[in-house]
Amino acid sequence: MLKKPATFTQSQKMMIFILSMSLYGLSNMFTELIPSVQLGPIELQIDCFAFIPLALCMLFHPFYAAIGAATGEIIFGELMLGQFGGIGEIEKFILFSIGMIVGGLVVRNPKKKAQVALGAILGYGLFLVLSTIVDILKIVIGVEEFEAVPGLAESIFIVEGVEFLTDFLLTGTLFTVLPALYLVPRLYGKVEPLLGLKPRTAANFRVSDVITLKFISVSALLSLGALGIALLSELDFNLGSWEPEFVDTYGNGVIWGVIGVAILCVCITLWLMMKKGKENSHDLS
Amino acid sequence: MEWVKKLENKLSLEYIKQELLRTAFSTEKSFFTQLDPRILLAWYSYFAIVPWFIYEHVTLVGYLLFMILLTIIARVSPLILTVLSIGLAGEILLLGFIALFFGGDLSIVAPMFWLSIKLAVISLASVTVFSSINPEKFSDALLRFGVPAQFSFSVAYAYRILPTLLEEFQQIILSYRLRGLAPSKNGVLYFRKIYYYIMILIKSFYPLILNSAKRSRTTVEALEIKGFSYAAKDKRVLKMKTSYLQTSQMDWLFLLLTVCYVVIVHGLQLIF
Repeated sequence: MLKKPATFTQSQKMMIFILSMSLYGLSNMFTELIPSVQLGPIELQIDCFAFIPLALCMLFHPFYAAIGAATGEIIFGELMLGQFGGIGEIEKFILFSIGMIVGGLVVRNPKKKAQVALGAILGYGLFLVLSTIVDILKIVIGVEEFEAVPGLAESIFIVEGVEFLTDFLLTGTLFTVLPALYLVPRLYGKVEPLLGLKPRTAANFRVSDVITLKFISVSALLSLGALGIALLSELDFNLGSWEPEFVDTYGNGVIWGVIGVAILCVCITLWLMMKKGKENSHDLS
Repeated sequence: MEWVKKLENKLSLEYIKQELLRTAFSTEKSFFTQLDPRILLAWYSYFAIVPWFIYEHVTLVGYLLFMILLTIIARVSPLILTVLSIGLAGEILLLGFIALFFGGDLSIVAPMFWLSIKLAVISLASVTVFSSINPEKFSDALLRFGVPAQFSFSVAYAYRILPTLLEEFQQIILSYRLRGLAPSKNGVLYFRKIYYYIMILIKSFYPLILNSAKRSRTTVEALEIKGFSYAAKDKRVLKMKTSYLQTSQMDWLFLLLTVCYVVIVHGLQLIF
């Protein structure tokens, strides 16, 4: 019996990354397009095919499979369809990866169905819980005097709670646990040799290989950053209400002057741009 | 049951495939395509972060007007805009209903309305930038910003591999349908049909995962033969690869225009 921990070369990590990225990305394109069914206030829709990254995380190195899947979602599901959400995607990237990594770490022996089911539920559930919390936080930050509006807090919690439950029950069972139970034991021992790897066993897979010191410190830094942004807005950090002192001393005239100069600049810039644009189109023709 | 037939037509695999390829590979030429991707990303990072911390209505409306103007110039596809606006409006309506239900009044809608304007500014900015940015240029700009080469390679790889993957996925699903027996009855609410299709969808990932594993091994081996992971770490290679990215006068004019506009909007805010 081999007691040596499974080692991954640079190119094997890259293979896992690409495999996870292309597969999950493809499935994400479909889930973006499948329409949702409205039942009153409850919206039934397939959130994602979470079984693909989860299955790969359970079979291979969880970190690279999870990062690959999150990247695939951004590239296939967002960039290619032209609906990239920008900075908001980064938060989903982090949360999704964390959920999938945890799901993959739970499984020591992919042949045991109980472990696979537990890993799938834990992984997807963790991702959903985290993203629900972030969604609520976002509204709390975005709306001024959040507590002062009656009924707002309750309705946010209801909306987010219902969304969480429907996602967890529908996507969580149909597209996470059941497919993972079908796929993982079947793929085990078949897909690893294709990448030149040994199948995962309790002997050669240790959690400490994935959760290294570097991993912990990076994730701690990331969560601190997220917390910092949340705290920043709590401190009434407000860019729009910046009122410089010179307004009091000189009155509104100064501001009108600044606006006038700015408008002049806009006009000159627009004129220059038009001129330049005409030159460019001449070059092309 | 007319709409079911229609939906079935819409959901045919061939249709989805064509729709996906069309969306992924068509970039219309607009004003933004000639700008440097690095300038666009820097511009975008301002409009993605700052609006979150602005609560003044005049400033928000000013930003929104600017974004609407730019969206028109960028010729964003109407499909994406419809999806965006339905999502924003739907959220306000839903929250309003629930608030009324809980005995609150409609005062909830006003703060949610301003939040939606904020969100609209941010999402319009991202739609404008990312629908007109060339993916290849985008990945090179990311490389220049110090993003790992694996990620920027993935962007380019995804565009190359998508048609092959879709083709293969379709073949697998078709072969499963050929070999399998479709349910003769639809069942309550098309339950049997839906169950049958979902089963096929999940099962077809089994051969797909095995095939993709083989393909990703081939890809990585080919990359390593060309010395990808060594080249990715080398600063000289990076410089050579992205040397075509050059800012033109147009980029700086665009930035100047934005700065002036932002100054105007914030100035008006101070007055009113």
